[in-house]
Amino acid sequence: MIKTENLSKEYASGTKALENLSIHVEGGEIFGFLGPNGAGKSTTIKILTTLSHPSSGVAWVNGYNVITEPNKVRGSIGYVAQEAGVDYFLTGRENLVLQGRMYRMDKRAINSRVGELLELFELKDNADALVSTYSGGMRRKLDIATALIHNPRIIFLDEPTLGLDPHSRSSLWDYIRILNKELKVTIFLTTHYLDEADKLSNRIGILHKGSMKIVDTPEALKDSIKGDSVNFSLKGKVKEKAIAILKSNSIVKDILCEDEHVRVYVNNGSEAITGLIKLLTQHNIEVTSLSISRPTLDDVYLKYSGASFKEGDGGGDSNPWWAQWAKKGWGKNWKGGEESKEGGQEGQEEGKSEGGDWQKWAASNEQGASSGEQGAWSEEDKKSWWNPEQSEDESQNQAVRSEKTEDAADIVESSVISPDNEGNNGNKEEPWKKWQNSGNQDWQGGGEDWQKWANAGATVSTVPEADQLAVSSKQEADEKSEVRSQKTEDLETPAVVSQVDGIKAEEPWKKWDKGGSKV
Amino acid sequence: MWALFTIVQPLIWLLIFGQLFKNMASLPGFPSGRYMDFFMPGAIIMTVLFGTSWSGVSLLREINFGTVEKMLVTPVSRIAIVMSRVIHAAVTVIFQCLIILIIALIFGVKVSGFSGALLSLVIVFLLSVGFSGISNGLAIWLKREEPLVVIGNMMTLPLMFFSSAMVPKSFMPEWIRVITMINPIDYAVEATRSFYSGVITSEAVLFQIVFLIIFALASVSWATEMFINQGE
Repeated sequence: MIKTENLSKEYASGTKALENLSIHVEGGEIFGFLGPNGAGKSTTIKILTTLSHPSSGVAWVNGYNVITEPNKVRGSIGYVAQEAGVDYFLTGRENLVLQGRMYRMDKRAINSRVGELLELFELKDNADALVSTYSGGMRRKLDIATALIHNPRIIFLDEPTLGLDPHSRSSLWDYIRILNKELKVTIFLTTHYLDEADKLSNRIGILHKGSMKIVDTPEALKDSIKGDSVNFSLKGKVKEKAIAILKSNSIVKDILCEDEHVRVYVNNGSEAITGLIKLLTQHNIEVTSLSISRPTLDDVYLKYSGASFKEGDGGGDSNPWWAQWAKKGWGKNWKGGEESKEGGQEGQEEGKSEGGDWQKWAASNEQGASSGEQGAWSEEDKKSWWNPEQSEDESQNQAVRSEKTEDAADIVESSVISPDNEGNNGNKEEPWKKWQNSGNQDWQGGGEDWQKWANAGATVSTVPEADQLAVSSKQEADEKSEVRSQKTEDLETPAVVSQVDGIKAEEPWKKWDKGGSKV
Repeated sequence: MWALFTIVQPLIWLLIFGQLFKNMASLPGFPSGRYMDFFMPGAIIMTVLFGTSWSGVSLLREINFGTVEKMLVTPVSRIAIVMSRVIHAAVTVIFQCLIILIIALIFGVKVSGFSGALLSLVIVFLLSVGFSGISNGLAIWLKREEPLVVIGNMMTLPLMFFSSAMVPKSFMPEWIRVITMINPIDYAVEATRSFYSGVITSEAVLFQIVFLIIFALASVSWATEMFINQGE
């Protein structure tokens, strides 16, 4: 029903949305199409529904070529987009009739079909009310109904249950099943809800960075993960013994421990369980509790997309263009908030116009705080909002994240060190004050210094990363001292601070640096 | 209710400009008659501009609602989608202009000849199609409301001043006169003015109408092209 061969799509901006994508969807199946934001799901749907042209490759829908026979494709498919494409200022019935006329159906055919669909989707009572009075679930149902007006053999559902309450979701699932089972409609479904894909789909394809990672049934996909996990809680401190015993058993594929819980991976949990208990009791190990869990589709998804939903790879071509556009700015802000250097420069610019180092500092801190907040927000919602150009941003994204974790490490570090610091200075904030004071002598110059500070802070904060990456400690020390000496050379003010602070010379910057991102 | 406002606005223009430039009519070289009579075609064309230049905004709203995408996946011809929007805008504006014309006549603005008044609606139609086509094309191209409104403003007001809507051509500096030669608004104003003054058939009017037809066709085909490529 749907077949693509080496489908590629490169946008004018140079973003590669799809790379040699080949899909084959059989007639009559529900095909679950998963992938993180920006993986190319929406691009694929756009191509298959003739809204966009592939850069190369071929695609057939219902036996028609999407490039050479777009009108035939259009006539044979139904499309339910992410945004409910129903007109709010028309009634439900008018929406259906309008859609029917778009397919040039004759009036009688439209009327009988509208009746059928209103019946099927239980919209009869509200058929003549304006769509603006409908609930979200009803709009969705109407949207799907309009897509079915011309009896298409395939319908494309792009995140159909997005934003619906659990009840509406499950009732929508029922409709989708009815469409598939009774009306024999092939369904091409994209979703972010893995349980939804699991429950509805006959087969699932996982798309990542524009190419298909794997296609299989939900069951087979889950089986491809380690298998079931059997979780034991053991009585007494017998963990090591238990592990040794379990390891000797050939059906055990892997063992993980958390405190006194032992997690054992086996092929078939329910079959293995009695044997495992027997084995443990034979060696006088008492099992206090026991559970088996099946791998979920989330595990599969994580395995093949190489990212959790949260991480995404930049998110967004599934977003409508306006969201993408709007969010580009946010993405920048977010990065700015994370990179102290950038934040510092911005702060400096602001400071120059406002005057006063203290103000500058406060401004930068404030700015840092607000962008830090934004950062937190974006991090959470990046899935749906944050959208830089995809390919490059994977790495950037990761870079920012590693900086983040490192930030966290820094915060811990500085909180450990700060009492020490207080001891030295009597006052935690003193280094800034000094710096403020010196800066006040010439606020323009101070601004520049201050920028250097920011830069220096940024340099220093990369050092712990080296630490994390297990670079030899000597080398690290070298780097650190190098950075410090460089600073001393560069700046007069920090020199004062480093005298005061002695060995913790980098602390104030860090604190300043963190001032923003901590909040 | 909303339609009422769109009619009131040009009437206010007519009133304000009529008063503001009242004395201009006594300047040497000004065509005979009151300034109000001179400005009447300008008021009509202004109505066209303000009524159509932002018609793309509603297209953006529909794109955001997803209704446009839903239309694009049906076999409906792309030209039909553009034409439906453009003709809707044009017909609305024609009714507005008709009402303004009637009110202006009641208040004593001189329009000689009934047929001329009706023929001016053809001009109104062509110019409306042209400008709403541009606005719809821009809407798809810019994809955001704010720049669309800004460009809409930038497009309409200067073009208005670069035409003989408010000031006779003889008063214009040379370089502005050159611009008027490629300004569809000027052609529309001139044609409307000759219709109102009773000149219905002349070579100049014919040329002006042909120019406006080409303008309308070009703008609609550009908008259609934008629609076809909107997924890219």
